Amino acid sequence: MKSRQKILFLECKNFLIGKAVIFSAICLLCFGVYGFYHGKTIIDRQQKTILSISDIQKKHLDQIASHGRGKPVGTTAYYPFFYTFNPASPWAKFSIGQRDINPFTLKVKMLAIEGQLYDAELTNPLTLLVGNLDASFVFIFLFPLLIIALTYNMISGEQENGVWKILRTSTTNIKAAIFYKLLVRFAFVLTMTLLLFFSGILILDLPLTQPTFQLGLVLMVYVIFWFSLSIVIVSLGKSTSFNATTMVSIWIFLCILFPGVANIIVNRNIPIPEAAETTIKQREGYHEKWDLPKKPTMEKFYAVYPQYRKYPIPEDQFSPGWYYAMQLAGDLESANSSEVLFSKLNQRQEFSERLAYFNPILTAQQLVNKVANTDLSNHIRYLESVKWHHKQIREYFYPFIFEVTPTEAMDWSGYPKYRPVTYSQEVLSSGILVIIIWIALGMALSIILFYKNFIQIKDPQNA
Amino acid sequence: MNTRLIKIIARQEWAAFFRARLPLGLYAVLLSMSILAIYIGWQYVNNFNEHQTEAKEEVHDHWMKQPDRHPHRVAHYGYLVFREKSPLSFFDFGLDSYVGNSVFLEAHRQNTINMSEAGFSNGMLRFGELSMAVVFQLLVPLFIIFIGFHTIAGLKENGLLKILLCQKATFRDVLLGKAAGITLLTWFLFLPLLFLGLLIGTVSHSAGLSTDELIRMGLIVLSYGIYFLIISMIVVAVSAISTNARNALMALVLIWILFYVMVPKSAQNLGNTIFVAPDKITFEQGIESDIAKVGDSHNPNDPHFSELKESTLKRYGVDSIQALPINYGALVMQEGENISSGIFDKHYNQLIQIYKSQNSIASFLSFIDPFLAIRNISMNLSGTDFESFTEFQKQTERYRFEKTQALNKIHLNQIKFKDDSKQRVNAQSFQQQPEFKFQPVPIKMSLRHGAMGISALFFWVLASFTLLSFISKKRQFQL
Repeated sequence: MKSRQKILFLECKNFLIGKAVIFSAICLLCFGVYGFYHGKTIIDRQQKTILSISDIQKKHLDQIASHGRGKPVGTTAYYPFFYTFNPASPWAKFSIGQRDINPFTLKVKMLAIEGQLYDAELTNPLTLLVGNLDASFVFIFLFPLLIIALTYNMISGEQENGVWKILRTSTTNIKAAIFYKLLVRFAFVLTMTLLLFFSGILILDLPLTQPTFQLGLVLMVYVIFWFSLSIVIVSLGKSTSFNATTMVSIWIFLCILFPGVANIIVNRNIPIPEAAETTIKQREGYHEKWDLPKKPTMEKFYAVYPQYRKYPIPEDQFSPGWYYAMQLAGDLESANSSEVLFSKLNQRQEFSERLAYFNPILTAQQLVNKVANTDLSNHIRYLESVKWHHKQIREYFYPFIFEVTPTEAMDWSGYPKYRPVTYSQEVLSSGILVIIIWIALGMALSIILFYKNFIQIKDPQNA
Repeated sequence: MNTRLIKIIARQEWAAFFRARLPLGLYAVLLSMSILAIYIGWQYVNNFNEHQTEAKEEVHDHWMKQPDRHPHRVAHYGYLVFREKSPLSFFDFGLDSYVGNSVFLEAHRQNTINMSEAGFSNGMLRFGELSMAVVFQLLVPLFIIFIGFHTIAGLKENGLLKILLCQKATFRDVLLGKAAGITLLTWFLFLPLLFLGLLIGTVSHSAGLSTDELIRMGLIVLSYGIYFLIISMIVVAVSAISTNARNALMALVLIWILFYVMVPKSAQNLGNTIFVAPDKITFEQGIESDIAKVGDSHNPNDPHFSELKESTLKRYGVDSIQALPINYGALVMQEGENISSGIFDKHYNQLIQIYKSQNSIASFLSFIDPFLAIRNISMNLSGTDFESFTEFQKQTERYRFEKTQALNKIHLNQIKFKDDSKQRVNAQSFQQQPEFKFQPVPIKMSLRHGAMGISALFFWVLASFTLLSFISKKRQFQL
């Protein structure tokens, strides 16, 4: 037993003496800290904007109500915007995800919603293309490189400088030697993961609730996946150059090429012509009504809101009631393609999750974005909440419009408040399970290969 | 310098490549990926443009089929413009997936360009897209690393370098010969492929080949040629200063990761932190408050608009707006449009300026990272760069302004002020407006936008050449 402890101790010392190890670990920590800082900056900026909304909204409505003095609500209602926002979850700082691409605030008028829902946020496209250096990037992209740096020459290096031969001839238990080598590195990787993750919790002020633990679990499993993958390469018993080349190639394949191809497959299998169609349909649906008799348009409106049938709509002149009925008609006529659009976006999400089963990097990224609520699903939920808010605003105004209430007689602050999307606790088990299966496969394979290439060698002289 | 020796050494490098199986296998992988990427890119751009054309025609049809309408109604009916991808975008996707694809143009409002591909993607896109440009920018350098890392370091390990140097060859000859060999080999393996890909891709989706496209293609091939030259020299230099092939490989892989992952990302993130761009709400608030300062057409006591009223009445020598021969409502509307459009342009140009400052960090860093140089030049030449997109935005806004202006003019002259909203004009009067046609950034401008990248490439050629000469003089690297 004593000799085992000695081997373990020596291996630790040997490992930690390596300058490359310390250097890459420090680099990673630096990038990690920068990643935390970056995520915090971006999300804090967004949150600041979101906080400013209520003032802007109030000022805006006051101004419109004062301008509208003396006019009926039906005239004034055309002008006000109602702001909505998608609050960031505490974990969005960890993984910004799609929050920089998709708008996190949208303002809507009482006009047809479909023309207002897809407004883009103002962003620098080059920044979007390059992407964020946030904590999730550090974990998902850079952490594997650390693992590669720690493992690529763990045995081949010693084989190449002759130490391995001495070790083989001087120990009876080569299995233990290999095991301790793995153990030391594994312990180091786990320590680094925990160190980085806990500093993330502190710096980003993550609440100690279930999502944080989920996040930690995903990262842990992900890191173990890379460790087991590297071990498989090491267990092949090839040269240092071969190991390095292969590991980096695998990294490039999984992180760059596979997602590139997968993305094309998704786009080709689920094209979205509805994006343009919805806009066109809504615009036609609404505008053609101006040149049509008013009755059929009103009937469409009454089908949804029969309570307004009692108000007269003159056929030969403009009336606000008719105007908003036309707007609704535009939405009703594009409702179908809008629904298809939303369901296709969901299909895209599901399809890419299935493709990700073949690539734990994609799975991990999707899981992290899920925890952070920064993925496409979250954005769809946000758009749905905007639609709902728009509906409530309309319904708040309709009675005043049909009653021809004067602007000053209406309560401009009494409209239903916007209810933002709340944090959605996602089920991650299937994704995590997939990564665990990959880990198990890697472990099993490496054990077999270690036996074949390192342990069951009859002639230790030439090993 | 002995040219004959350099030639021999270069030829030797060439022969070594075709003898070994692994490099050929790698080449086969890259070849198939290039072909796959270009085919997919080509098909994608084609389908995309077809869809956009269909949508465009549909919108045009609708516009032409409008019944007689009040011109201001037509201004609100507005127009939809669909962005088409540039002819060479199948080669380099650039920013295409991250910018909007359609914009609604209407009176009073400058809408954002919406419906970007990235907005409909769930994050897989963020890992990067597979285009031929990506293969050439990222993977060919990796290929050069894999075939070249041992080129000098290997000679040191097996002692051949010493033997070589004992003969006529100087270390400089060896370095130059190796660099020339690897460069020529990569040129031979990839440049014809690049040119053919570009040519076939362009010819098969447009009817002919314009001079502009041909020049762009030539320049793309030239820039990538220079880029490969730089990478080859760097690889030879690193191999020369390493004691053995293994160290050379490690160092080169590290440099690759720095060049392609760390520097670009850090540069852009840094730019964003230093130059803070306003988000949409702040941007809109800025415009709104500026407009309120100039004049508010809804406010009857607004000084700007009362002045407009007085001067108009004076000009026509009448005492009430009802007596004017023109429609005063339309005049006010156009004035409002002039004000808001001018202010929007000012703010938008400021915003673009901020974005440009953000991007300038990456441009400057081209002198540290040649990948940034080729990335920018390649996007510039393929018409998928920042400037092309900005140009689209500006042209659509100009088109919107002109269209609205034309409709306001009809409103001004053909609609009586009395009972304004009850009148209509003949549909023909607004049917004759010109269709939107995007004028791509001319090649001269593309080159000007890419000037920093181009000078960075030349800087790199000089720098790596100097580096090789410097290394060749150091005795410590010859052992």
